[in-house]
Amino acid sequence: MTPPAGSDEPGRPATPGVRPFLHRSGAAAYRPQPPAGPDDQVPDGHISGLRPFVITSGRVDGVDPDIGMETQVTVHPDARPARLPPEQRAIVALCIEPHSVAEISALLKLHLGVARILVSDLRACGQLDVHVLDSEFPDPETIMRVIRGLRSIN
Amino acid sequence: MDFDPSTDRIVGTARVPNERKQNKPPVPVKIIVAGGFGVGKTTTVGAISEISPLTTEAEMTMESVGVDDPGPDSAKTTTTIAMDFGCVTIDHTLKLYLFGTPGQARFAFMWDDLIRGALGALVVVDTNRIDDCYPAVDYFERAGLPFVVGINTFNGQLGYSLDEVRWALAVRDEVPVLSFDARFRGSVRDALLVVLDQALDRAIKMRSS
Ligand SMILES: Nc1nc2c(ncn2[C@@H]2O[C@H](COP(=O)(O)OP(=O)(O)OP(=O)(O)O)[C@@H](O)[C@H]2O)c(=O)[nH]1
Ligand SMILES: [Mg+2]
Repeated sequence: MTPPAGSDEPGRPATPGVRPFLHRSGAAAYRPQPPAGPDDQVPDGHISGLRPFVITSGRVDGVDPDIGMETQVTVHPDARPARLPPEQRAIVALCIEPHSVAEISALLKLHLGVARILVSDLRACGQLDVHVLDSEFPDPETIMRVIRGLRSIN
Repeated sequence: MDFDPSTDRIVGTARVPNERKQNKPPVPVKIIVAGGFGVGKTTTVGAISEISPLTTEAEMTMESVGVDDPGPDSAKTTTTIAMDFGCVTIDHTLKLYLFGTPGQARFAFMWDDLIRGALGALVVVDTNRIDDCYPAVDYFERAGLPFVVGINTFNGQLGYSLDEVRWALAVRDEVPVLSFDARFRGSVRDALLVVLDQALDRAIKMRSS
């Protein structure tokens, strides 16, 4: 594996050692895709891959895309979880302290997609507060704080 | 869980305003730790996380790429992958999450959900199997997410020089290629600081444009 001279020249021959994507004309074929819409969903009960979604009554769509894995969830002050099904009640109980959707999924052993749907539903019925951020992109000040915080770790 | 929903612990007492204030969650930020199987992603997350890494199962779309050129109609499949994550509390208002996610040569993963709002990514590379990181590098490059290539040195041995790896990956000059040891907190911290540097650059550019 020796870097050839002038390796940045366009049109140089394909070299086996180099990342194949760079030599493929069909590169556009695997651009990031939008999340699958309802049209792509498999009819209920057809595919074992959807098994985890039994808890959500087969629902796999309609989740707010702003609910990410790191999104923080807390119990709503007026929550009345007594009559909820067990999974939902466990989520509300856990969120007495703030937890991310990923933590809810891991701690309650729920598939991440299921956790997202349940959190979304529980927000819709007033049991949970979901703290969606104003902006998708963290600002420089926030990043600086992360940098300072990490630097102080040893 | 000994939470009794019939009591009034959450609602309607004089202590509520105070409790609600304490309940205000931190702002979460995240960094993705990606790479092929067995390159040290979980070790990386575990070395810096204040909790031992948690695992969650997630759906991911993938399509096969590479040796047998799939052409434009290549089949996409959805698969369940295990993803592990950890966190570092910066202070009570800010929390960093690290998500370790697999990729594999010959499969391009669609990380669209995962990278939404991410600060950047650390692509972990084992020099014995450099190809395994191609999908991650391809993906982050096209998604415009700042990323850093981190060669996990295993036993302090670098199979190839950083320049050789940079050449094989053919990443832009701005993309840092560094070596680190996934087992050591200080080493992981320094690699993440380089990711954050890239993230800061992008955030400043985005603000001024
Ligand atoms: N000697 C040495 N061993 C390491 C290092 N990093 C990881 N390992 C070991 O390599 C193995 C794989 O590491 P993991 O952190 O589980 O890798 P991973 O990328 O999470 O693997 P998958 O989740 O299975 O894809 C484990 O047995 C680690 O203990 C390192 O820097 N040096
Ligand atoms: Mg792992």
